[in-house]
Amino acid sequence: MAGLIRPGVMDQDRHDRTKRIPWVDLSRIGSAKVLVVGAGALGNEAVKDLVLFGFRHVDVLDMDTVVRSNLSRCVLFREGDQSSGKGKASLVAERARELDPEVQIRAMEGKVQSLGPEDMKGYGIILGCLDNVAARLHLNANAYHARVPYVDGGTEGFRGRVQAVVPPLTPCLQCGMNRSHFKVMERRFSCTGQDTVFYQPKMAAEITTTSIIAAAQVREAVKVLSGRPAIAHVMHYDGMAGTCEILGLDIDPGCPNHLPTKLS
Amino acid sequence: MVVRVRVRNAETGATVDMELEMENTVEEIIEGVSAYWEKDPGAYVIRKGRRLLRGQQKVQELDIQANEELELIPDPEGGNR
Repeated sequence: MAGLIRPGVMDQDRHDRTKRIPWVDLSRIGSAKVLVVGAGALGNEAVKDLVLFGFRHVDVLDMDTVVRSNLSRCVLFREGDQSSGKGKASLVAERARELDPEVQIRAMEGKVQSLGPEDMKGYGIILGCLDNVAARLHLNANAYHARVPYVDGGTEGFRGRVQAVVPPLTPCLQCGMNRSHFKVMERRFSCTGQDTVFYQPKMAAEITTTSIIAAAQVREAVKVLSGRPAIAHVMHYDGMAGTCEILGLDIDPGCPNHLPTKLS
Repeated sequence: MVVRVRVRNAETGATVDMELEMENTVEEIIEGVSAYWEKDPGAYVIRKGRRLLRGQQKVQELDIQANEELELIPDPEGGNR
């Protein structure tokens, strides 16, 4: 039997156009809990896309406050936020509620290293919007051990990458890392003999690549939660060449996240 | 046994030929070409066709043909600042 419709009713439904995509499981997306780690450039874009798409339960973690140079890439920050004293996570949560007052968004001020596998449980998916190898490795390992899908994004200038990790089926972030990644990580923690200094380089970044990479992360989250296969396994984006390629990666048999669990 | 490959720099399009022993690893390829091109310190990966190679893989495991092309790609780690 044909359904009953009224003129204009469909345009009153916030998510009507999304509901027209047959494979999108908007019910599951609306009920899933999402963790976004990092509320900077990628985190701003990711939260904006999550909320507009129909995600209803979002937690955002960041340890930082806004500086004025963030404003060229962060859609949810405003002039004056840099002197508000509020954390990035709180500001993202506040502005996301303006986008959709029905979304339940929780700001968490702190370091990713404060989260362990137990903290990952209960999330349907985790998005990594980070800026360093050490934080990525921590989140990757804990999400993997909690068996929560993890979508990592990274940018540098007009280049970007996205990796979807779906445990226990796919390789993880660490499987694709090599000595060059660990050298970068070591440089961040330089030891002076008296103290350990955390060195945070200023990296080239701009909004167009940030938007594309964050959008790809959220799209992977949509696919995974809708029961569609994620990319296999790493998307490399080159904005100058205008190319985007999906490259395969094997599970590293020596990766600590994939070693068989020993029964004690 | 030695195999000669061509490595392309994804950022500049430049290429360099490299002679590899079967025992050489992907990490050694990355370090060799990074030094040759005086690359900025950073994370890099090597692709062979549509696959990314793992750092610890040895040339003998890679099924590399003579004069095959590999590509050095930066692995972006920014996004939160």
